[in-house]
Amino acid sequence: MLNKWKRVIALEGTKDIRRHKRLQTMLIILLVIGLTVWSAIGTDFSVYEVFSGVGLISNFLFLDLLPPDVTTSGSLLGAILETLYMGFVGMVVGALIALILSFLAAGTTTPHPIIQVVVRAFTSIIRNIPGLIWALILVASYGIGVTVGTLSLILGSVGFLTRVFADTLEEIDTGKIEALNATGSSYLQVLAQGVFPQFIPGFVAWSLYNLELNIRASTIIGMVGGGGIGFAIQKGIKLFQYKEVSMAIILVLVLILSTEFLTSKIRERII
Amino acid sequence: MSELENPNENIYSLTKDEEEILKPKKDFFIKGVLIFGGLFFLFSLYELNIDYANLLEGTGAFFAMLIDMFPPNISEWAYVLPAAIESLQVAILGTVIAVVISLVLAFLAAENLAPSLWVSRIVKGFATLMRVIPTIIWALIFIVAVGLGPLPGVLAIAVHSLGMLIKVFAQSVEEMDEGKIEALKASGAGWIQIIAQAVIPTVLTALMSWTILRLEIDIGESTILGLVGAGGIGWELMRAMRSYDFNSALFITMVIFIMIFSVEMLSNRLKLKV
Amino acid sequence: MNPILQIENLDKVYPDGTVALSNINFSVYPGEFVVVIGPSGAGKSTLLRCMNRLIEPTNGNVIFKDKKINQASARQVKQIRREIGMVFQNFNLIDRLTVLNNVLHGRLGYTNTIKGSLGIFSKKDIAEAEEILDRVGLKKQKYKRADELSGGQMQRVGISRALAQRPRLILADEPIASLDPASSKNIMDHIYNICTEDKITAIVNLHQVEVAIKYATRIIGIQNGEVIFDGQPSQLTDRIIDEIYHNRKPPLVHAQ
Ligand SMILES: Nc1ncnc2c1ncn2[C@@H]1O[C@H](COP(=O)(O)OP(=O)(O)OP(=O)(O)O)[C@@H](O)[C@H]1O
Ligand SMILES: [Mg+2]
Repeated sequence: MLNKWKRVIALEGTKDIRRHKRLQTMLIILLVIGLTVWSAIGTDFSVYEVFSGVGLISNFLFLDLLPPDVTTSGSLLGAILETLYMGFVGMVVGALIALILSFLAAGTTTPHPIIQVVVRAFTSIIRNIPGLIWALILVASYGIGVTVGTLSLILGSVGFLTRVFADTLEEIDTGKIEALNATGSSYLQVLAQGVFPQFIPGFVAWSLYNLELNIRASTIIGMVGGGGIGFAIQKGIKLFQYKEVSMAIILVLVLILSTEFLTSKIRERII
Repeated sequence: MSELENPNENIYSLTKDEEEILKPKKDFFIKGVLIFGGLFFLFSLYELNIDYANLLEGTGAFFAMLIDMFPPNISEWAYVLPAAIESLQVAILGTVIAVVISLVLAFLAAENLAPSLWVSRIVKGFATLMRVIPTIIWALIFIVAVGLGPLPGVLAIAVHSLGMLIKVFAQSVEEMDEGKIEALKASGAGWIQIIAQAVIPTVLTALMSWTILRLEIDIGESTILGLVGAGGIGWELMRAMRSYDFNSALFITMVIFIMIFSVEMLSNRLKLKV
Repeated sequence: MNPILQIENLDKVYPDGTVALSNINFSVYPGEFVVVIGPSGAGKSTLLRCMNRLIEPTNGNVIFKDKKINQASARQVKQIRREIGMVFQNFNLIDRLTVLNNVLHGRLGYTNTIKGSLGIFSKKDIAEAEEILDRVGLKKQKYKRADELSGGQMQRVGISRALAQRPRLILADEPIASLDPASSKNIMDHIYNICTEDKITAIVNLHQVEVAIKYATRIIGIQNGEVIFDGQPSQLTDRIIDEIYHNRKPPLVHAQ
């Protein structure tokens, strides 16, 4: 008898939970719809305009942009290589700086909690301001050119990598660090011999991923004066040389896809 | 290694045991990658031909400018805040459009659900094209086609996100347990029924967390679209920098930071829940 | 004979208020093989880690060879730790490094900071590490990566690392809790034989009372952070065992 009551009460309980869940789901769906409508009104979005734009867009795509002007590929090659160099230099310098900062920012390795908070706040500011905006700010001081592009990519890499490196360091098995401490090793020895070997796979994988991000970012950094292929695209659009633009876009495509291919191969081998 | 040449060891080196010791496995691949990476780094640095005098000078100028930027000038908030909200709206609308369309296309792209392998390949090819071209370049293209304003921004975000979402959604579906699909197929369910009854419930959490991640990225991207004239707060920043109004620029940058930072916080919360 | 280790009025209260140890007193003499037993959560690991100050004691003294570890400077603590080897339940080897490299970590305290960080060790240290590996039967595995070994082999590397310190005292925190019965016996034999041959004092935390009785020269039973038995294995009656585990049977049984 008692058991039966217990079961009934339990069933009522699950019914309640289910009702509660359904209510929650409905609320979330309503919220999403509400936000979408609010956004559509705020941006004057109309489906009609999009569909009437389809003709214009396809005209532009197929008549103005295509076919790409292959003869310009020679002069664009320099620009796309510049993009690659900026992305790579940004990754290497960024990874080295982030390596040091992340050891200060991770709870497991930081010499002092205050240093940890300061470094985390600093990198959070860098990370949460987009690279293109860094480029825009830097252009005012350094003038147009690859310096700005490279610096803003370095900033972006430092912001991103410090966070993921620090997270990786915090996942490290503290027992192993305890074991090295127990042998009477110094702080530096524990870092180099205990923490670093565990950290390497994450370090390589995240740096490679950052290279992909940088290559993407460096294709556009030129638009605000950071050099590279972005500058060529921006210029081409301003001068209505759309066939050159589409050639540049094809080069961007090739560069990004081959970087993705290469990094995934290296990742597979190392981890 | 040198310790093997130790004369004391030679006594044993003829015995069978000693031969079985595996030599240390040197990973030439990692070394090769590192050496090549180092060389390529130097080469890149050389090719970039950075003007180091300018670097030094510019750094001085940059810090001078940073000091100059303070205090932030908030007097133009009546223009800045609506622009920030517009960026947010562009990001939300663009992401929602991308999610809705990708929900249909991802099932055509997933090899285990696609009507034929060709359909899957074509959809995936288009997705790659959309994903690889950066949002801001899409924005430039749409501006030429439909003019300045938030609309090209929405379209740019929608198209670029669509490419990525199709890819990752299709991957989640492909990683699904085959047995569940087969069980429904065996019971005579149609394509739509299989998707509604088996696929969506299984991959729902993955889809939700990708969507949240994408929204996070898109809010970052929407703040920069204004730089090319596609609406939002980026345009305000561009204007302030162009007119050397650094105090306003700092305020706008702070608003951008707060927007992206709070979204990061919020999505960290949501990720824990999902 | 002077004690090698003295524990005086030792208390440990964790920041969250948990009283892990209260008023612990005992001395350990050279050559003893002390086994600490007690139920889960009794404070065995805490006690062991207070001895080499991996955990900061709240009150009381830990005196190793007439030096108060609890009052030593950071530098002195490192010097004292060199003479105290430690063996862990989860072995705590660095997975991606070779077996030999892991053993050489025992020499880090004696090696120059920069050289040690770069993993450069003297020929003498390397030869000695190989000798130790030979002794625990792992000579052939010296160039294997640590994560390629079986559990029993890993623990032998853990023991070798401790031995490489040329310690006066070995602390072992449940060295066989993650091993199967055969490996467990092998590991306990290794620890016992090496400590006897090299005249190293040992303090070992164990769950299994039978194993404790088999190897120990002295058994310390703790419960709720207090010593409630300290004597010869022969003095450990069933009644006392019951009392130590306080009717909460040993955890293995309790779990079922
Ligand atoms: N870092 C800590 N913070 C707070 N309390 C802790 C901490 N570490 C251990 N304790 C508590 O201190 C008490 C003693 O823990 P200890 O790990 O020393 O026990 P033990 O005898 O080694 O147990 P076991 O046999 O399970 O390893 C337990 O109640 C435990 O919950
Ligand atoms: Mg314990």
